[in-house]
Amino acid sequence: MIDTYTRLLEKTAELGDEQAADAAVTKLILHLKSAGHMKMLPRVVRELKKVVARRKALQPIVEVAREEDSAAALLAAAREGVVAEHAIVNPALIRGWRARGAGKTVDRSAKRALAAIYQKIIA
Amino acid sequence: MESIIERIEREIAAWTPDAGSEETGIVRATGDGIVEIDGLSNVAMSEMVLFDATFDRTLAEALKDSSPIYGLILNLEEDGVRAVILGDAAKVHEGMLVRRLGRLLSISVDESLIGRVVSPLGEPVDGKGATGAKEVRPIEREAYGIIDRSSVNTPLHTGIKAVDAMIPIGRGQRELIIGDRGTGKTSIAIDTILNQKSEPAATRPICIYVAIGQKESKTAKIVAELAERGAMEYTVVVTAPASAPAALQFLAPFTGATIGEYFMEQGKDALVIYDDLSKQAVAYRQMSLLLRRPPGREAYPGDIFYLHSRLLERAAKLSKEKGGGSLTALPIIETQESDVSAYIPTNVISITDGQIYLEADLFNKGQRPAINVGISVSRVGSAAQTKAMKKVSGKIKLELAQFRELEAFMQFSSDLDADTKKQIDAGRRMTEVLNQGRGVPLPFEMETAIIFAATNGYLDTVSAIDIKTVEAKLQDYLFREAAGVLMAIKESKEVREESEKTLREKLDAFVARHLTPAM
Repeated sequence: MIDTYTRLLEKTAELGDEQAADAAVTKLILHLKSAGHMKMLPRVVRELKKVVARRKALQPIVEVAREEDSAAALLAAAREGVVAEHAIVNPALIRGWRARGAGKTVDRSAKRALAAIYQKIIA
Repeated sequence: MESIIERIEREIAAWTPDAGSEETGIVRATGDGIVEIDGLSNVAMSEMVLFDATFDRTLAEALKDSSPIYGLILNLEEDGVRAVILGDAAKVHEGMLVRRLGRLLSISVDESLIGRVVSPLGEPVDGKGATGAKEVRPIEREAYGIIDRSSVNTPLHTGIKAVDAMIPIGRGQRELIIGDRGTGKTSIAIDTILNQKSEPAATRPICIYVAIGQKESKTAKIVAELAERGAMEYTVVVTAPASAPAALQFLAPFTGATIGEYFMEQGKDALVIYDDLSKQAVAYRQMSLLLRRPPGREAYPGDIFYLHSRLLERAAKLSKEKGGGSLTALPIIETQESDVSAYIPTNVISITDGQIYLEADLFNKGQRPAINVGISVSRVGSAAQTKAMKKVSGKIKLELAQFRELEAFMQFSSDLDADTKKQIDAGRRMTEVLNQGRGVPLPFEMETAIIFAATNGYLDTVSAIDIKTVEAKLQDYLFREAAGVLMAIKESKEVREESEKTLREKLDAFVARHLTPAM
């Protein structure tokens, strides 16, 4: 049931209607009170926090090796379907950029290229 | 040094950035070798994924430990997928990037695997370096259909008299070896592999021994024995030891079947031994419970029957149009307290084309192999039995069954008539003749000659206790004195009139020379 309640609140939140979301929470609390299942509420909250964390992890992200490459990288990533507001500098990439979001990863970094060459040679 | 630099420069020059993007997911949770993944919404069931340990590390860190960790997708769920880790689960952590590989779990196979010991992923574990196998094949595939098959018509000799005479196995058959712990199941399988050495190289089956959940010391011992006896020349060993993750133990038989199928499709004969499927079932149960699939009888998942049926159905004798190759399967099942009516044993009994049932009581009485003839059966093997063996073995099974009944009756009655006593003596003698130690499989023609001698009264003057000594002498004698007739039986696969006549003469001479009245 916890899963069902979590999913219900998640779907309601996705609608973007604050009032509807408030009403859903109120109704859920009333229902749990009447059914004597109030102890479920903290677990529902825990599950909702997990959903938020998961969504955050899946949010589009663009990383660049150098600050000056940001604009070009954001543009290139958007062309690949990963739209982010700003890029994060990650020197570990050595050169180039990479983007993750919408269930895919585009990696145009030198780090990836060097790792791939290394794997190919030692294989 | 220069060649290395040259090679690297070549690779750099040839490298082009990936034009497209790849589908990836993020590890949400991991534990007990199971991973929950967010994303990968288009991934397919049984698809391979790669846990990318390089993504969130610097290049230097990533190259220090660059061994890939693969996963196998087994659950597609509403809000993500679940996979099993095929490797070191400790290296997979929350937040790790997971790449979709776009291919089903596959291994590389070809002739270079012969003589090697490999893991269920086809990676060598014998310290002899890469196998160099080229052809990539998915380990799960649909079995051949009716049109592509032909009936089982060629025998697969095990070199074990009791099996070849009473429970013959044909090439392409699935014959279950079932029994309690320590009753000689593996011995039958290993003897069968060893016996293939006596087959002509052109028709010798390639043997694949799949060790599932075994102690590594036991597998090492078996490999050493096979190597010592020259059997690794035509054998591949797939090992998923007890220390391996459950996922690898579950996959090992499918790897064995894939290797066997490769040779079958080359028009060759292959023999695959699954030692044992009980342990595979236990590994699959563990995985299924961790994947939160609903448990059924004995806590096994609902598709445990399908797991074994889809594996064993891959054993086949192909039609001439398909090359005429074959894949014979000898699955092994370990019973608990001789309970053949447990879930897994009944499942596998119903799938296979017969079973060799080994009994602990017979084993403890000294019978080797400890086969219970009464409930052992080969449903299709008799069609493949050679004329020679058919002719000499004739009614052994029936006579032995009658002997067992009389033997049981004898416990209650001390006074027996002469006929009954004679029958009991004959039964005891035959039991002794069929007794055979471990690791001494006999060539088919020698088996035929020995059984011929036993069923035609040449050993009637010998008491059951002396049979072993006399048989050893007889074998030695036949090797020396009757090589011609043995060769004729081997080549023609039958006991023709002239061969029978010569064999009788030789046996008469043996009786006259060795079986003096004092014996």
